[in-house]
Amino acid sequence: MFEIDWVGLSMAFGYIGVLVGSLITFSSVYRKRKAAQSATLAPWFPPHMQRNIYLSLLHLEPAEGQEKAPNVPDSVLRAALLRRAVEDIHRIIQIRTAKQACSTLLQRGSVGDALWQRFLRAEQEMEAELKDVVMEANALTPNWGTTIFQSANEMAANTMFRQKLDDIQSQTEAEVEWWKTRRASIQDEFMKELDGESGAAAKASKPGSDEDAVLVEGGGPAATGSIRKKKGKK
Amino acid sequence: MDDTETFDLLPIRLDPQSKAISTTSSSRILNQELKTLNELHKTLLSLESPAPPPPIPVNPKRSAQITKLRETGNDSFRKGKHAEAIQYYSLGLKMALSRPLWEPSGLVRDEVAGLYANRAQAHMAMQSWAEGSVDAESSVEAKKAGNAKAWWRKAKCLMEMGRLEEAEEWIGRGLEMEGNESDLVALLKDVQEKSKKA
Repeated sequence: MFEIDWVGLSMAFGYIGVLVGSLITFSSVYRKRKAAQSATLAPWFPPHMQRNIYLSLLHLEPAEGQEKAPNVPDSVLRAALLRRAVEDIHRIIQIRTAKQACSTLLQRGSVGDALWQRFLRAEQEMEAELKDVVMEANALTPNWGTTIFQSANEMAANTMFRQKLDDIQSQTEAEVEWWKTRRASIQDEFMKELDGESGAAAKASKPGSDEDAVLVEGGGPAATGSIRKKKGKK
Repeated sequence: MDDTETFDLLPIRLDPQSKAISTTSSSRILNQELKTLNELHKTLLSLESPAPPPPIPVNPKRSAQITKLRETGNDSFRKGKHAEAIQYYSLGLKMALSRPLWEPSGLVRDEVAGLYANRAQAHMAMQSWAEGSVDAESSVEAKKAGNAKAWWRKAKCLMEMGRLEEAEEWIGRGLEMEGNESDLVALLKDVQEKSKKA
């Protein structure tokens, strides 16, 4: 019969046990660490204020001295939801523009894996956010979910466009002011030249007409008008 | 963004009478946002439908009024009443820019581009080069391609104000957008000749 070598067998099982045990420990520790790491990753976007406002409105607390929370009218909720959708549009645009750049940088190894992880998480969150907004919109007004993002998209584009226009138009005053002073100085030079010429001519005929030249120069407003006409003829 | 399941409760209050939302927080951004929200709420209340309608189709009334104002302005301009034309154009602009924000931005851009370009022309006819230059730039901002007139007008204004370098740069950008537009090329030559003399 076989003699069972208990010592040798236990050595073998012990070896397997230690191996498996250490592998399990490593795997669990590694996973926990990784999870902790991704949890501490900074979010891609700052807090979503419009979303917070919308949800705060839904969970409005009763004012002091009142038992019931105030009833928020649907129109206010709709406005808040629309603002939230507009902010989502801004974020979608950011994500779309960043995606190309991010993946190229990642391939080249210029940015770390953490950045890519953050990006992917932001993308997933955006998807969930969009679905949520569509659902809320449908709940507030039937079928609004199909058009809310179209409206929000135009709102985002219109706001940006108007902002740019305002920036340009706000320069008007400064430009006009600049041109006024500039034109005045051009006219001054022009008048001086004229005076110089006439002064030189006058000096040749009779001395003492320098004072006249000074007088002409002093007549600011009248001179302005005449030059303006001259400019027009050009 | 934080978790999809949670949110930050903000210290906001709803005024029971006016339905305006206010906050006790002193955060500037939050106050700004609430102001925008309240304005949006008011425009929403003025609507017949509960939710804003989809961008298309557009209510034709306003478009017709804007077109009419532009044409009246054009008539005044042709008669030589430049100041009057500017007033009509400005009115048209005000109308186009006060469209509700959810109406198509492309439409607003088109209307605004035409009106600013025309107002720039009227300003130029009155020798107000500075105003003309700003208006032409606004027109270009609204519509970059296929807007050679506005490119030309801004460049012309810059030239008249003696800002030759700027004019040259501006025409260069314009030519990139418009291809070899003959008017722009001719103006570029003018500018270059002038800067040689200077």
